[in-house]
Amino acid sequence: MSWAWFHKLGSPKWFFSWSKPWALPVFCFGCLSLLIGLVWGLVFAPADYQQGNSFRIIYIHVPVAMLAQSCYLALGVAGFVFLVWQMKMAPIFIKAMAPIGAVMALIALVSGAIWGKPTWGTWWVWDARLTSVLVLFFLYMGIIALQNSLDDQVLANKAAAVISVVGLINLPVIKYSVVLLETLHQGPTFTLTKKPDMPPEMWLPLLFAVIGLYCFVAGLLIWRMQSEILKREYRSSWVKQEVTEHGL
Amino acid sequence: MQSSASLTISDLWIERGERDLCKGLSLSIQSGEVVRILGENGAGKSSLLKVIAGILSPLEGQILYSGEDVTLDRSLLQHDAIYLGHSAGVKSLLTVAENLHWYCPDAPSSVLYSVLTQLDLVDQVDVLVKALSVGQARRVALARLWLSKKTLWLLDEPFVSLDARGVALLEGRIQQHVLSGGLVVLSTHQELLSIASRDVALL
Amino acid sequence: MTYSSFLVSEFLVLWRRKQDVFNALLFFVIVVVLFPIGINSSPEFLAPAAAGIVWCATVLAILMAVEGMFKEDYHDGSLEQLVVSGLSLPLLILLKIVAQWLTVVLPLLLMMPLLSEMLYLPSSGFWVLTMTLLVGTPSLFFIGVIGSALTVSIKQGAMLVMLLILPFYLPVIIFSTLAVKASQAGLPYSGLLAMLLAISLLSLVISPFMTAIVVKASVN
Repeated sequence: MSWAWFHKLGSPKWFFSWSKPWALPVFCFGCLSLLIGLVWGLVFAPADYQQGNSFRIIYIHVPVAMLAQSCYLALGVAGFVFLVWQMKMAPIFIKAMAPIGAVMALIALVSGAIWGKPTWGTWWVWDARLTSVLVLFFLYMGIIALQNSLDDQVLANKAAAVISVVGLINLPVIKYSVVLLETLHQGPTFTLTKKPDMPPEMWLPLLFAVIGLYCFVAGLLIWRMQSEILKREYRSSWVKQEVTEHGL
Repeated sequence: MQSSASLTISDLWIERGERDLCKGLSLSIQSGEVVRILGENGAGKSSLLKVIAGILSPLEGQILYSGEDVTLDRSLLQHDAIYLGHSAGVKSLLTVAENLHWYCPDAPSSVLYSVLTQLDLVDQVDVLVKALSVGQARRVALARLWLSKKTLWLLDEPFVSLDARGVALLEGRIQQHVLSGGLVVLSTHQELLSIASRDVALL
Repeated sequence: MTYSSFLVSEFLVLWRRKQDVFNALLFFVIVVVLFPIGINSSPEFLAPAAAGIVWCATVLAILMAVEGMFKEDYHDGSLEQLVVSGLSLPLLILLKIVAQWLTVVLPLLLMMPLLSEMLYLPSSGFWVLTMTLLVGTPSLFFIGVIGSALTVSIKQGAMLVMLLILPFYLPVIIFSTLAVKASQAGLPYSGLLAMLLAISLLSLVISPFMTAIVVKASVN
């Protein structure tokens, strides 16, 4: 297997020109799929026999919560890649990804709370999932705050990578501890882990929404990375050429 | 002390923030040489010394110490080098003697006392460094050059905040060091009065 | 510089800064006292809550102590000297953590009998709590020191260290308080202690290396 692609990934110039045609189609496909999933799920899918219509928030909550966790996983991997191979793209990825992840975690928290009101009767329950998403949100905010307060680019890159890797290692421990906390606290009997088998007309829209959101975020991420590359490499000749030829 | 140490730097390229420094610099230093790095403020004098000492990593280039490639792992060079930066790492909550013991634990106390006498610090030996003046604290840092047996000296503006006698003392010590086979790389704006040195100008 | 001369100098500096350790302990006691005064001073509330109260106060006191661990070394240049010393930077950092842990946690443990009396903690719970402190606090230092190194070049870094590090402390707090609660309920708690030990060992392996990376990037 050739590792050329892996080394190419390290070059901002290569990434910029490679990703240029991808951002818009991926983003548009994501929007479309998300729209289908949401409209289908929120309007046409049958209501749940236990929870009625309130279950429909699943079409927002589940994709967003999945994204919040995937984003952190990606951050940790990027941090690891940076610490080991000093790949230039990794810190750009982290910088572009962290705020997206934070927003996803926040939406997951808010939608979870809204879902909690009709099902549990309160806005907030110290449920293992909600608590771990809350911690995840704190971790994201820590990374963002750290990047904003370090002026030196080299140090900021290293710092973000280190804290992402440490976070990734810790995340399973945090999750496990929170689950343990809940079982000993005798939490609510209703759990999301054992969902009744969903009929296809219920899970298909969910699938659309999940895929859509992933693509939506991927498109957004590519754009954010591209602008970060332009910001960091503005002195290099290829950026000057790029801007004079194609405009911003 | 190694008798035939040498330091060779080739095709160096240092990146500091937005600036490229020392681009394409090549430099070779043999035992018994003093190299003085000249350049305007911001030309990269300190960065060059930090790269040699292993605090910074160069973007490109190769560093050889006594024939060994130390570009990626500088520990071989570090075992044989003293680096004195702008703030030389004198702990204000330790006394003069404790500071020197921290840095050179093997120096016998007789040597320690004779060095401190030379540097006019012998009365302050048990005084906390935070009670000393800036010039005195600087001398505590410089006392390491007398106590330690390392070959390669990397001195960043060593004459700062020294009086005329201190400058003369330090020049004498540098002279003595290179005569016995040491290597000195220093950055200074000052003319060296009593030492023959090779100048390297950074653009 | 050698490892032993480094350790000696660390202890000397800590000894000269004993006021800081004393302040951290006082802070610890004051935080513990806030709970009975602020929430409820009845034994029915305090006895089950004691472990949680003590652990929250411990975490805050340790963060206070760890936050400034590299500040002075960074400003006077001795951190730079550690990097160029040719000695293993992770090992030096490990020694520094050990010195710091001994000076902060040992006095804290000495105060535990007094505090557990004030919080109506039964003696069985007291021993489990002491054990969780012994096994759990090293990980607090190991993780905290990463945050301390990350923010060493920032002027007002204390708040940022809290924000960065506190989420990582959650599992330690959870396992510790659960262990004490389990012992009070007569349930086995050795598994939870083992978890604490595992976290401490894991962070022992990771933290010195990560901290060394950050310290190297910070001093330039």
